[in-house]
Amino acid sequence: MSLNIADRRRINGPQRSVEPVYTTKAADPFATGRLDERALDQVRPIFIKTGPLDAQSLSAAAPSGSAYYEQGKIRVSCAIYGPRQGRKSNARMGSFDCDFKYAPFSCSWKRSHIKTSDEKEIALMLENSVAPAIRLEAYPKASIDAFVTVIESDGKAATIAAAINCISAALADAGIELYDSVAACSMALHGEQWVSDCSQAEENASTCSLLVARMPSADEITYLLQHGKTTPEQTQQAIQTCANDCTRVYAVICRYLQATLE
Amino acid sequence: MASLLLSPAEQDYIICGVESGFRADGRGSLDRREVSLRTGMISQANGSARCRIGNLGVGTDVLVGVKAEVNSWTPGEPEDVGSIVCNVECSPSAAQEFEGRGAEEINVELTQLLDRILNGPQSGLNLKNLCIIPKQAYWVLHIDALVLDVKGSIIDTLVWATRAALMSTSLPSVVVETISDEKGNIQSEFDVVDDPDNLTPLEGVEHLPISVTFSQIGKRYVVDASEQEEAVTQARLTVAVSPAMEI
Repeated sequence: MSLNIADRRRINGPQRSVEPVYTTKAADPFATGRLDERALDQVRPIFIKTGPLDAQSLSAAAPSGSAYYEQGKIRVSCAIYGPRQGRKSNARMGSFDCDFKYAPFSCSWKRSHIKTSDEKEIALMLENSVAPAIRLEAYPKASIDAFVTVIESDGKAATIAAAINCISAALADAGIELYDSVAACSMALHGEQWVSDCSQAEENASTCSLLVARMPSADEITYLLQHGKTTPEQTQQAIQTCANDCTRVYAVICRYLQATLE
Repeated sequence: MASLLLSPAEQDYIICGVESGFRADGRGSLDRREVSLRTGMISQANGSARCRIGNLGVGTDVLVGVKAEVNSWTPGEPEDVGSIVCNVECSPSAAQEFEGRGAEEINVELTQLLDRILNGPQSGLNLKNLCIIPKQAYWVLHIDALVLDVKGSIIDTLVWATRAALMSTSLPSVVVETISDEKGNIQSEFDVVDDPDNLTPLEGVEHLPISVTFSQIGKRYVVDASEQEEAVTQARLTVAVSPAMEI
């Protein structure tokens, strides 16, 4: 990505650089089962750690809650600041803001240091998915801010789903009042078959991707995004399956949160 | 999207009305406001359209212009397709909060939404046709949308205007010459014919999708929410449907 404005804060590399072209062709993702030998409807294993990553940092500027989330190769970290003084001093309800950033080394191509519109849109997506779960009327005049950083990404829809799950875990760690945790899962369409939780290679080989964020206890979907072309029946079937996957992810998140209490 | 301050009584009125099947302006829950669509009014652009839902001054108004430019291929890009670049801007004349940097969030959201519908095989456009010389030059379609007024249902208006603009887009003809020099290397050069009568329309525009937005108010949903209805909407679902009934 060439930058129009000179970036004076950093030591600049060359104006233009591209990802190298590899001579060995990457393996076909769905040739014989999946590359990492999962079942077609199996979600990648999840690991969550809440609480400050560095156990010694207890300064006043520390975040109220944080979480580190891993799903297969995806690594996402989230910090929650709040409830703190909001921008509007007469607001009846609190506001929830999200900030999303890919680390420059997180994708297979180098990402810019400056936030792109892609990342700004994902931040809006995260806000829309998680805000319904927060009891914002319990925090008038306050704002709750979530800062999400993707350390390693593997599949765009799957990374956004991981970010949503990470925010849910971090909100619980911060002690913010929630109606329910939001769990998200993604799927991709390959030929006629919907495959759960696709990696980057699998997503590139698919024709459509679907992301569902759900509050299982309330049985409500908070966010739904489909990118690609399908028939209405395929989408309906996929939403149902993805919602079930969300429930499974939710169970994992809850189990990790319970373990932190012990 | 554009926020409106409604009193609890007004909100209650709209929600109870929708649940009983009545809307504040007398429409049924699946009725749209009047739509007016004009194409080809910008002579400098390769394609243009203006779509308005509702009456002048009290409706949502979007103006879309399509300009085609030739771009040189650089390593790292796909070799034999053209590309589409979308940009949506909400002008401050639409709402007071769009002044200065206020419209940034909604601009990003609408731009990405349009990009998601148009960029890729799902749009139906034949991007391979937009390539002039593989690995050398290709057409870039710059789709710029200007939102002039927002009174509810911005996504639908935007997608319809964009589709109309693309359908009215015609590209100048290109003449490709291949020259082989002494060493037997083949070089291609192209020339854009500057003839206003020699234009070709885009291929695949009849497959472009249009969108329908449903807003959930209370326990029922309505189509084409007005500004007041959008303020009490709990959830919104937008579906882009192609002529072949695919979403």
